Amino acid sequence: MGKVVGIDLGTTNSLVAYVQDGRPVVIRDESGDGLVPSIVSIGGDGTIFVGREAQRRLLTAPGSTVYSVKRFMGRGIEDVNEDASLLPFSVGGDQGGVVRIGIAGRQFTPPEISAFVLRELKRRAEEHFREQGEFDFEVDRAVITVPAYFNDAQRTATRDAGRLAGLEVLRIINEPTAASLAYGLDQRNRGTIAVYDLGGGTFDISILKVEDGVFQVLATNGDTHLGGDDIDRLLTEQILGEVGAGLPPQTIQAIRKAVIQAKQDLSEVEEAEIRVDSSERLASGYVRRITRADFERMIMPLVERTLGPCRQALTDAGLEPKDIDEAVLVGGSTRIPLVRRVVHELFGREPHSDLNPDEVVALGAAVQADILVSGRREMLLLDVTPLSLGIETMGGVMSKIILRNSTIPASGREMFTSFADNQTAVDVHVLQGERELAADCRSLARFRLRGIPPMPAGMPRIEVRFQIDANGILSVSARELRTSIEQTIEVKPSYGLTEQEVERMLIESFEHAEADFEARLLIEARNEAETVILATEKSLRRPDFEQVAAESLEPGERAAIESALADAKRAIGGDDRAAIQQKTEALNHATRHLAEVVMNRSVREALAGKNVKDV
Amino acid sequence: MTPDPIPLRATTVPECRNCGAGAPVDEHFCPQCNRILALGRYGDFFSFLGVPRKLGLDPQDLERRFRDLSRKFHPDYFYNAPPAERLASLERSSYLNDAYRTLRDPAARIEHLLAIEGLPSATSDEGSVKVPPSLLEEVFALNEELDEIREQRESGGADTQLRARLEKARQPIERKREEHARRIQELSERYDGQSSAADRKTTLEALREQLLEQKYIANLLATIAREESQIGGEVRHG
Repeated sequence: MGKVVGIDLGTTNSLVAYVQDGRPVVIRDESGDGLVPSIVSIGGDGTIFVGREAQRRLLTAPGSTVYSVKRFMGRGIEDVNEDASLLPFSVGGDQGGVVRIGIAGRQFTPPEISAFVLRELKRRAEEHFREQGEFDFEVDRAVITVPAYFNDAQRTATRDAGRLAGLEVLRIINEPTAASLAYGLDQRNRGTIAVYDLGGGTFDISILKVEDGVFQVLATNGDTHLGGDDIDRLLTEQILGEVGAGLPPQTIQAIRKAVIQAKQDLSEVEEAEIRVDSSERLASGYVRRITRADFERMIMPLVERTLGPCRQALTDAGLEPKDIDEAVLVGGSTRIPLVRRVVHELFGREPHSDLNPDEVVALGAAVQADILVSGRREMLLLDVTPLSLGIETMGGVMSKIILRNSTIPASGREMFTSFADNQTAVDVHVLQGERELAADCRSLARFRLRGIPPMPAGMPRIEVRFQIDANGILSVSARELRTSIEQTIEVKPSYGLTEQEVERMLIESFEHAEADFEARLLIEARNEAETVILATEKSLRRPDFEQVAAESLEPGERAAIESALADAKRAIGGDDRAAIQQKTEALNHATRHLAEVVMNRSVREALAGKNVKDV
Repeated sequence: MTPDPIPLRATTVPECRNCGAGAPVDEHFCPQCNRILALGRYGDFFSFLGVPRKLGLDPQDLERRFRDLSRKFHPDYFYNAPPAERLASLERSSYLNDAYRTLRDPAARIEHLLAIEGLPSATSDEGSVKVPPSLLEEVFALNEELDEIREQRESGGADTQLRARLEKARQPIERKREEHARRIQELSERYDGQSSAADRKTTLEALREQLLEQKYIANLLATIAREESQIGGEVRHG
C-alpha cells in the first residue's frame, strides 16, 4: 500500500498535505512554498507545465495556458460563456455537453486539465516521501476537497480528475467542512461554528455543530461562481474600458497580473499602484493609483452577494446570527479587509483565521484521509447535500426526493408505473436544485428503466432508489416490486464523462507520460537556475557590495558575473533544457569566487562578535 | 417539507450474511459475529433509534443516540471492510440520517406515526388547497383585509400605516397558530398516555386534522410575510 494524502484542488492554487505523527502538514517545495498554482500550460513540443512554471507562461504563451479550470468542472458551454470572454484559451463544446478547452491545438476536458494539477501534487508528495527516506513513497490514494455547494456533476468531474491522475479518490469532502476539521483538532472550537469560505472562484458558507468529536453540518449554501476571480475580472474590465478594447491576450494577462498584485497589496496598505509595463498594443504601459476605499466601493456588490447564502444557511439551520459561537475564515479572498468587516457585522463577532486560510482546507483533507485509512474514530464528519435532488414529473415539474441539507449518506425512493399496456421502459430525468420547474434546475442525468415485465398500464410498481454516498455523489438503482426484477439503468450524465471516456483518457495519459517526464526535467533545470540567479542577485544587492568589489574582486570579474547572470535569465525564459543547465553552470562558475569572498567576510564578522544580521 | 411516504414491509428476522445467524429486527450488528447487518426492512424509525414510540421525545437524548449510532455505522469506518459490509454501512447510515431528521421534527414525527399506523398522510395535496372549516371565518376576513392593504399600497399609502394594518391582520392568525400548537401538544401527550390501540388511532387521526390546519395557517402567515416584504423595501437597505 502506498501513501495517502489530502488535496485541496483550488481554483487559483492547489495544495497537498498528509498526516505525520498525528498532525497534518502541508508538503512544500524547496523554497518553502506550499501552493501550486492551478495553472497548466503546454509547450510547443507538447511538454506540459504545471504550477509556477505555467503561471510564468501565462505572460509569454497565453494561448497555450489554462487557469481557473475549476470553474468549468462539470459544466456545459452554456454555463460558461460569460467567463470565457477574457480568457486567453478557447472554450468550446457542444450545447448541453461537457466543456472542451482548446490549447496548443489540442482539446481537453476540464477533468483532464485538473488531472495535470493533481499529478503535479502527487509527484511533489512522492518526492517529499522519497527525501524522507521512505521505501514505499508512491502516493496512490487521496481525499480531494470541493466547494460545499458543488453539484453532483462537479463532484463527479473532480473524482474523474483524480482517477485520471492515477489516484484512488478515497473521498470527496467539502472545503469548509475540511477546514473545520483542521480547526477542530485542538478541541478548542466546539459549539456552533460558521465557516465562511471565499476562495479564488467559489463561495461557501457552512454552519456546523461540533460536539464529542462529531462535526455535524447543519446547513450549507454558497455560490460556485463567486470569488477572487470575479474581483480580478471586474478590475481588469475597468482598465480595459479605459485603455480600449481589442488588446492581445498577452496584454490582457499583463493587466490581470498587475490587478491581482494591487488587490493583494490593498489588504496590507491603504493605497496601491496598478502598474502594467509596456506591452503589445499598450506601448506606454499603464499606471494608476487606487485607494482601499475605491477598491472597496468597486467590490462591494460582489462581497454583498455572499450575504444572501449566509442568511439562507442560518435559516435552514434554524439559527440566528447570535447563535453562532465562532466564525472562521477560509480562502485567500478572506484576507480582504472589507470581507472580514462584512463577516464581522453579519455574525456580530470578530471572525478568526488562526490557521493560514490558504492551507487549512488541505490540512483538513489530510486529517480525513488519515481517518479513512487508519480507522481512527475520535472524529467524524457528518456533511450534508447542498442541493435538493429530484426527478422531472408530469408537466415539467421538479419533484424532490432528497431535500437540501439532508445529512449524507442519504437515500430516497420514488415509485414509477407505466402509462401504456405492456410498456417495458420508462424514461427518468434526474435533477438537482431548489426551483419548482425542471427547466430551472440542473439536469444531472437521464436514464431509461428497461426490462419492465409486460403488464396492463399502471400495474407495474417500479421502485427507483436514489443513493447519495458520503462523497455527495448520486447513484441510482431500480426494481419492479411485483416481480422483484432488478431493472437495468444506463445513466447518461448531462455534464459528465462516461465510463468509456474516462477509460480512454486514462490510456492516453499513459501515452503522454514520457512527454510529462521531459517537462519535469525542464522544470527542475529551471528551478535550479532560479536558485543560483536569486543568490547572485542577493550578493550584488548587498549594501557593502561596492566595498567588497573594490577590495576583493579581480578587474572584470564583476562584469563577467553580470553577463553570466543576464545569460542565465535569458535562458530560463526559453524551453531549452540543455541551454538552461549550461548557463546555470556558467553562472555558478562566475560567482564562485564572489561567494567565497562574501562567506569569508561573514565568518570574520561573526568571529569579531558582530551580529551577521547587522552586516 | 415532508418526508417520503414509507413503504411498509413485513418485518422478518434478518439473517447475517457473514455467519448466517438470525438477529432480532432492531439489531444493527450480528449478535453472533458482531458484523454490521444489512438493512433488511423499512419502517419504524423509533425502534431503529431505540426510543419508545412516543410523540414526546427528548431532543437531547435523540441527538446523542444519533451521534452514537453515526459513530457505529458511518462509511468512514468501513473503508477497508468487505463490499457487503460497506453497503450495509451505507444503507444503515442513510436510514439513520432519515430517521433522525424525521423524529427530531415534531410534525414529521406525527407524519411518521401516521405512516406506521397506515393512516393517510397529512401532506396530501387537497389538504393545503381546501380551507379547513374551522378556519373559514379567519381566512375570509384576512383575504378581505389583504385586498384592501394591497389597494392602499398601490395608491401610495404610508408605509407605517400599511405595516400597522398588516400587523393587526396577523394577530388573529397568530392566535390560531398558538391555539393549534397547544392543541397538538395536548393530543401528543394524550397519545403517549394511551395504551389501547383503538384510542391511539383516534388521537392520531385528530392529530392529523390539526396538522393539516397547522400547515394551512403556516401558509397564511407566509402570505402576510410576503405582503410585508412588499412595503418600503428601501427602508431596510438604508
